Amino acid sequence: MYRYDEFDAEFVRQRVAQFRDQVERRVKGELTEDEFRPLRLMNGLYLQLHAYMLRIAVPYGTLSSRQMRKLAHIARVYDRGYGHFTTRQNLQFNWPALGDIPDILAELAEVEMHAIQTSGNCIRNVTADHFAGATAEEVADPRPYAEIIRQWSSLHPEFSFLPRKFKVAVTAAERDRAAIQVHDIGLHLKRLADGGLGFAVWVGGGQGRTPLLAKKIRDNLPEADLLSYLEATLRIYNLHGRRDNKYKARIKILVHEIGADAFAAQVEEEWQRIRDGALKLPEDEIKRIDAYFAPPAFVAPPAGASAKPPTGAPDAAFERWIVRNTHAHKQRGYAIVTISLKPIGGVPGDASAAQMDAVADLAQRYSFDEVRVTHEQNLVLPHVCLGDLRAVYDGLVAIGLAEANAGLVTDIIACPGLDYCALANARSIPIAQRISERLATRQDQIGDLKIKISGCINACGHHHVGHIGILGVEKRGEEHYQLLLGGSGAEDAALAAITGPGFGPTGIVDAVEKVVDTYLKLRKDPQEAFLSAYGRLGSAPFKEALYAAAA
Amino acid sequence: MSKSAPTISVLTANRLSDGAVVFLDFDGVWVEGLRGAVVARSPDEVRALESRGAFDAARNIVVEPYLVEMHEAADGGLTPVRFRERVRLGGPSILGDVPGYVEAVPAKPQARPEPVAGQPVHAEAA
Repeated sequence: MYRYDEFDAEFVRQRVAQFRDQVERRVKGELTEDEFRPLRLMNGLYLQLHAYMLRIAVPYGTLSSRQMRKLAHIARVYDRGYGHFTTRQNLQFNWPALGDIPDILAELAEVEMHAIQTSGNCIRNVTADHFAGATAEEVADPRPYAEIIRQWSSLHPEFSFLPRKFKVAVTAAERDRAAIQVHDIGLHLKRLADGGLGFAVWVGGGQGRTPLLAKKIRDNLPEADLLSYLEATLRIYNLHGRRDNKYKARIKILVHEIGADAFAAQVEEEWQRIRDGALKLPEDEIKRIDAYFAPPAFVAPPAGASAKPPTGAPDAAFERWIVRNTHAHKQRGYAIVTISLKPIGGVPGDASAAQMDAVADLAQRYSFDEVRVTHEQNLVLPHVCLGDLRAVYDGLVAIGLAEANAGLVTDIIACPGLDYCALANARSIPIAQRISERLATRQDQIGDLKIKISGCINACGHHHVGHIGILGVEKRGEEHYQLLLGGSGAEDAALAAITGPGFGPTGIVDAVEKVVDTYLKLRKDPQEAFLSAYGRLGSAPFKEALYAAAA
Repeated sequence: MSKSAPTISVLTANRLSDGAVVFLDFDGVWVEGLRGAVVARSPDEVRALESRGAFDAARNIVVEPYLVEMHEAADGGLTPVRFRERVRLGGPSILGDVPGYVEAVPAKPQARPEPVAGQPVHAEAA
């Protein structure tokens, strides 16, 4: 893992002191709310529906046990005993008092964490494939590049007041777990023809009120040119992105309005001007950052040991968990473990302080001290020895986090929705809970199916790329839900389409079940997953099931 | 006041210190919950409440004050018209399902003003 150098530590320490002073001045009345708001947002502090909310950055979703324990400590001492892992691999506390924030930030700084640039019109926390450094599918660990981008983008003077927020995601695998096509910039690390590493650069993706998939504007960008190319891209956006209309200010609108080719040409021109300047990444510097992410000291499995997890175990529940929640590791004798934060009927992404502490213990003991946060609001133990899977599973059973549902219909993404969020129009979490309860007994039969729920048009719950997406809206003062089908945030990225008229809070759960029943009835065989079946069948049979009786 | 201003409304805001949802009561004190909330029933009363909100925001007691439209039952009970405001008043609907959720320690209430003879403090009389 990356460790702060003296510069990083001093920079974060100074920021804590600065914000402590700003909070004191706000409480004394020396700063008005209008003056204070941009300052608190730059430190990740929002005012939500019922309370303040502090969003803490988890860079590229990687946490050490020590950091996880600190989050548990903060939940226990300063908040209400839990935290919420988000679709941007971050963690949110929902109830901090304003006066406690400087102390919380000081505690975070002790473990090399902060909340800087988790809000505001700047480059946000860079996200990455949550299996990075563990999966055999990648050409290299993408996190060193995410860290290089983090360092470049932190307090970047030119890009601290962009037209709108800016999100970068990085993957190094063909199988896209980082949703790069729905980010402002998506980077795909690849092996180049000359044997070196480089990037495909996707620009202009995003969800929100105008969902658009990113366009690939550059391929085979040598790794040494990463920052200069990003700088050129951000500069063109900063110059020409719309500042007259908040809803048209994201880079996706600029790329869409002038066209990807024209945008790419402008970036290219600027890049040619700066590519051999100060931002050229020296090989030594890449190697220096790379070293922080060196693979752990894996132990070679004993001769004759199975490369596969012990699926022959007699315990059916353990067996199910092995099948659904463990994944192939690049190192023989190891597995990647998904810790589902989606217990049946639970609140997606929430974890108690005790659960966080227990996961930290498991990571320390069985996963080389590492935990990952996924954009699907789960946790991952990236490096678990096959022989330790039973112990990990038992540990998860003890804290209620052993649901064997990774990628299944109950593994639902849901934004905080109207239960917490000041922007939301409808609740997301209770809909997720009721769908989870309704379909739990059939989830293995249903197979891979991603449901994603947002409580407003801003789409934090990724409903545009759900195989089944749900969007909460307000209709005559009450909650109402639109249903969308056929989206994907993976390498086969697609935007879901609205089925038709929306549903009330009860009707939407029935509607999802009708869609699932229709799929089960019409799929060719159990191997044909929902998205494939939808692609083959089109929307007609699903609409028929949803609306025919009402017509 | 705009034409769309509700005729029955209460003044709400978030408390500066912890962001808690508060309502202005008859004593001019910001309290959690609707008990004792001042109700504006006329454009004049709405204006008075709005002024009070702006004043208390400027005094750094509360943040982002605004008026919430209410239904009033025959017994005087108040219910927000919009679902959003009902959730805002009642708190998250899912706290019973949140792992490890711990109730907050109640915040120290704002000091009540000393009554001044012949000078009502509530907004309706302002």
